[in-house]
Amino acid sequence: MRAKIVKYYPLIPVYAAYLILFLIGKNVPGMWQLMAMLAFYCAIGQAFNIFLGMTGYVDFGYVAFMGVGTYGMALSIVHLYQVEWLGVGIIVIGLILAVVMASLLSIAVGAVALRLRGAYFAIATIGVNEGFRYFIEGAKIWGGSEGIIFSGQLTQAFGRETASVLSTLWADIIIFFIAGIAAFITIYYMRGKIGYALTALREDEDAAKVMGINVTKYKIIAFITSASLAGSIGAMAWALKLTYVFPSEVFEIHYTIECIIIVLLGGAGTLLGPVVGGLIYGLSKYWLTVVLPGFQLLIFAPIIIIIIVAFPEGVIGVLKRRVRGSVLEKFII
Amino acid sequence: MIGAQFAGNLTQGLVLGGIYGMATMGLSLIFGVLRVVNVGHGAFVMVGAFIALWFFTALGLAPIIAIPAAFAVGMALGFIFYYSAIRRLIAAPELSTLLATFAIGVLLEEVVKIIFGSEFRGYNWAVGKLDLSITVLPYSKIYAFIGSVAIAFLLYLWFRKTRAGTAVRSVVEDSEGAKVCGINVGWMYALSFAIGIGLTVASGVLLAMFIPVGINPYMGGGYTLKAFVIAVLGGLTSPYGAFFGGLIFGLIENGSYTLFAMIPGVEPFALTRFLSFIILLLILLIKPTGLLGAK
Repeated sequence: MRAKIVKYYPLIPVYAAYLILFLIGKNVPGMWQLMAMLAFYCAIGQAFNIFLGMTGYVDFGYVAFMGVGTYGMALSIVHLYQVEWLGVGIIVIGLILAVVMASLLSIAVGAVALRLRGAYFAIATIGVNEGFRYFIEGAKIWGGSEGIIFSGQLTQAFGRETASVLSTLWADIIIFFIAGIAAFITIYYMRGKIGYALTALREDEDAAKVMGINVTKYKIIAFITSASLAGSIGAMAWALKLTYVFPSEVFEIHYTIECIIIVLLGGAGTLLGPVVGGLIYGLSKYWLTVVLPGFQLLIFAPIIIIIIVAFPEGVIGVLKRRVRGSVLEKFII
Repeated sequence: MIGAQFAGNLTQGLVLGGIYGMATMGLSLIFGVLRVVNVGHGAFVMVGAFIALWFFTALGLAPIIAIPAAFAVGMALGFIFYYSAIRRLIAAPELSTLLATFAIGVLLEEVVKIIFGSEFRGYNWAVGKLDLSITVLPYSKIYAFIGSVAIAFLLYLWFRKTRAGTAVRSVVEDSEGAKVCGINVGWMYALSFAIGIGLTVASGVLLAMFIPVGINPYMGGGYTLKAFVIAVLGGLTSPYGAFFGGLIFGLIENGSYTLFAMIPGVEPFALTRFLSFIILLLILLIKPTGLLGAK
């Protein structure tokens, strides 16, 4: 029994970090937006890490899952806002729809693209992301390139005040929950059969196959998990929070890059990594926006190159080696 | 009538395709030799376009003269980025090189933005037009096409007839074996990367000759994505494959646009892009060696 609980000790620093963010946001005036942004970056880092970190496959079109999640929520609100008895159910349905749509897309993409490896996989996933975006714009479905703006429907369904609370408070709080769930899934996978299978796959896919590991099955599981979390994050942090969705924004490749940076910065395939990466990335982005508006990318780009060259294992990767054999070992993974 | 319009669009597509092909050769060369996908590809195209613009507006020189200068600038950038970053990442997982080349692209965009600003620019090089009865081609486009073919042919000669070109081919074939035969593999990587970037920057000049408007620091993203499709059409590892992939892509792009435009209630431009990514996925799945590649 004790061994079972010890397995989950590394969750303590993760949840402590989220709790601290939440408390600062709630109690220090004017900090809620920043803390919510940090939670958002930690959450997408955690979600992406489940696939990228554990399998080593680089999904360059990851943002597509957040994108369809955003559409899921938007469609639910646009189509159901007049059904009065649903109440908050509209949001719940939106969230479920977001997860379902993201999972379906990931199954479709996975069935096709996961046959490819390395650079070919990365290029194929970019293709899926861009293709999906241009399909929406070209065939003019879901509002085409004009997108969907649904602040009016949200206000009609819930009244001005509740709608505002939903957008500015609850969307962020649910992101905290999603981040927590993602952390739990990460460690559950890491400590389970799937984690060992994925580690074997990451090190040498052919060898893992020969050893009788059903690599395809575990790859798909990790892919769907990661995608459905991304869908739910899109539904909350983009749809419910901003109350609009434009295809040119929700399929923007820069968001995928942000996810990759967060994972790599903290340490790919670790539990704490995406949290540390999300915090460092979010804080430095915020700080640079304040101090040097317009020059953030100019400063970020060389720093990223230096980090990739000098510290490819990320913060937690380095830290893990340092604490080996000490008491902290149980907590840092 | 619609037939003549279609033929005219295909002619335009073929000319543009030649330039697209040349603009992808650098990407394929770098992937073929180093196994590095240059996600910052479009940013180098953008640098070339700015060099053409600068030659024309500041120096008053014809953009076509900018090609050697652009190639030289590109090679210099290639060596700088190779020795500062890429060299240490060749053995690393894809994630590292993908992110590093993306960051290099962002760095270039931001530097150009500081120098030239982020507004859209253009120029007008009036050298007359050629009337083909089905379509009208400005001479600047024709020169750009001839330039593309010439550069592609020069690269072919370099690969086939020179020692360095042969050495690069041997590295592609078997880098360990090449090392045993006394070839400086590291230098061949550096050289291929520099030439690949040089070609890409030079292609930016040609693209700016074909489309002399809309030049701005962030114009490259679209070209990166097109280059991926074209490179995959050509088999990803072969620069010549990329050139022919470009021709095919130009034809598909313009041809399908004409056809999609006949469907009411759609955006033909976006559907053209959609089709190109469908092709990308199909080729990757069915024939990853490219349309012209061996089995």
